[in-house]
Amino acid sequence: MIQAILDAVSLGGVYALAALGLGLVFGVMRLVNFAHSELITVASYTLVMTHQFPLLISIIFSVAVASLMALIMELVAYRRLRGSNPATMLIVSFGVSVLLQKVYELVFGALPRSASVATWMTGAFTVGGVSITTASVVTIVLAVVILLAMGYLVERTKLGLQLRAAASDFQTARLLGVRSNRLIASAFVISGALAAVVAFVNVVGNPQVDPRFGLDITILALVGIVVGGMNSLRGSALGGFIVGAVLSLLNVILGNGRVYAYSWMFVIVIVILLVRPGGILSKFATKERV
Amino acid sequence: MNRAFEAAEISKSFGALQVLDNVSITVNSGESVGLLGPNGAGKSTLINIIAGYEKQDGGLVTLDGTPLDDYAPHVRAQMGVARTFQAGRLFPQLTVAENVALGALGLGLSGKIARQRSEHVLEVLGITDLEGTPAGGLSHGSARLVGLARALAAQPKYLIMDEPAAGLNEHEVPALLAALSKVREETGCGMLLVEHNVGLVAQACSRVVVLAAGSMIFDGDPQAALNDDGVKSAYLGDAAFGGGHS
Repeated sequence: MIQAILDAVSLGGVYALAALGLGLVFGVMRLVNFAHSELITVASYTLVMTHQFPLLISIIFSVAVASLMALIMELVAYRRLRGSNPATMLIVSFGVSVLLQKVYELVFGALPRSASVATWMTGAFTVGGVSITTASVVTIVLAVVILLAMGYLVERTKLGLQLRAAASDFQTARLLGVRSNRLIASAFVISGALAAVVAFVNVVGNPQVDPRFGLDITILALVGIVVGGMNSLRGSALGGFIVGAVLSLLNVILGNGRVYAYSWMFVIVIVILLVRPGGILSKFATKERV
Repeated sequence: MNRAFEAAEISKSFGALQVLDNVSITVNSGESVGLLGPNGAGKSTLINIIAGYEKQDGGLVTLDGTPLDDYAPHVRAQMGVARTFQAGRLFPQLTVAENVALGALGLGLSGKIARQRSEHVLEVLGITDLEGTPAGGLSHGSARLVGLARALAAQPKYLIMDEPAAGLNEHEVPALLAALSKVREETGCGMLLVEHNVGLVAQACSRVVVLAAGSMIFDGDPQAALNDDGVKSAYLGDAAFGGGHS
C-alpha cells in the first residue's frame, strides 16, 4: 500500500516535470510543442550512449544535448512562426516530432538501444517491515527539488517575472521592453533541461530506448496541462501530477483490469474538464485569449 | 538647446484617409500639455507615433533635439519617453508590485533596482497597500494608478498618458488629479495628457493643443480654448464639414 502511494507520487512527479516543460513553452509562445517528446528521447539516447561515464557526467551531457536541441528547434522551426495561428504551430511541431523520430531511426536504428544506467536505483530497501523501491524515493526527491527550484526561478527571479508577464500578455511584455528572443530561447532551454530529467527517471525504469521513447509521456503530459489549466505553470505542473498519480493508482486498483487504466484515466479527465473546462486552476482563463 | 519633446509637422494616412495633417506639438521640460479633440480627431494616432508604435508618413519626433524615429518603443522609454495605455494593459495574474517592476525591468535594470523603484513609485502615488494584490482584482481607478506607476517606474523625462480618466467615477478623478500633481512635484517630468475630459485638462495642464479631423485647431491657454469658436464647433461635431478650421 505504501509502495503504491510512493509509486503514484513518483510517477506524478515525473509527469509534473514533463508538463512543466511543455507549459513553459506554451506560456511564452502559445505553442503546444509536441516535439517535446523528441527532447526526452534524445536525452535518453544520450544517457544510454554515455553510460560508461560516471553518472553525473552522463546526466550533464544529457541535459546539455536536450537543451541544445530545444534551442535549435526554436531557432530553426518555431522562431519564424511567432504569433501564428496555434493550429499552424501545433502542426509544425508534429512535423518536427516525426522528422526527428526518423533521424533517430537513421542514427540509432529502429530497435531499442539499452544500457544499465544507475542500476543502484533499481533495488529496494526495507523500512519498518515495508519494502520500498529506491527508484520511487529518488524520483520523488528529484521531482520535489526541481519543482522547488523551478518555483523559485519563476516566482522570485527577474527571468521568472518576465516569463510570467510574457505568458500573461506577450504583446504588452514586448512593448515594455522585455527581450522576446532571449526570453523564448530561455524557456526552450529550460524545457529541454526538464525533458532530460524526465528522461533520466524513465531510462532507469525502462532502459530500452527507441525512437518513440518520449511519446507516451509527452501525450499524457499534454493531457496534464489541459487538466491543470494551460494558462498557469502551477496548473500545468499540478495537472501533470494528477495524470501521473491517477494512472499509477489505477494500475494497482484495477489489478487484472489494468489494461483499462488509460480508459478510466480519460474518464476522470473528461469529468474534470466538464466541471472546469479551462482546467483546475483556471481562475483567469475566461479573460485570456486561447 | 531647448530641452523639449517635440513632434514636428507630423502627417499620417491610412490608405486614402488622412488621419494627421501637418500637426506639431511641443512639450517643454516639466510642462503639462493637454491634447484634446473629439473622437476620430487623430489623438491616438499622434501619440502612437510619438511613442514609436506607428510610423509617420512625414515629420519628425525629437527628444531634446535627438531624432527618435529609428527607435522602438522600449528604446524610447529608455531614453526617457514612457506612456500609459488606454486599456491599462496590466498583467492580471501578476501582483501590483510585479506589474510596476516590469516597467523598470524592460529597460534592462536589475531585479533589485526594479523592486526598489516599484516600492518608491507606489509610495509616491499612495497605493503601497495594493502592492501584493493581483492586478486582475483591482478597481478601475486603482488599475489606472497602477498603469501610471508602471510608466513612472521607467523614470521618464516625459510621460504620455492616453485618456487616464476614461471610465473613472467622480471620486476617482480627483484622486487621479492629486496623483498627477504629486508626480509633477516629485519627478518634474513633462506630461502629455490625451483626454476627452476638457475640465480635467483645464485643471491639470498649463497649455492645451486641440485636434479636429487630423488638423491642429488650437494651441494655447486652457481657459481660452474653452471660449474658442473653432474648438467649440469641433466639439459640436461640424468639424468634419470644415466649419471649425478656418
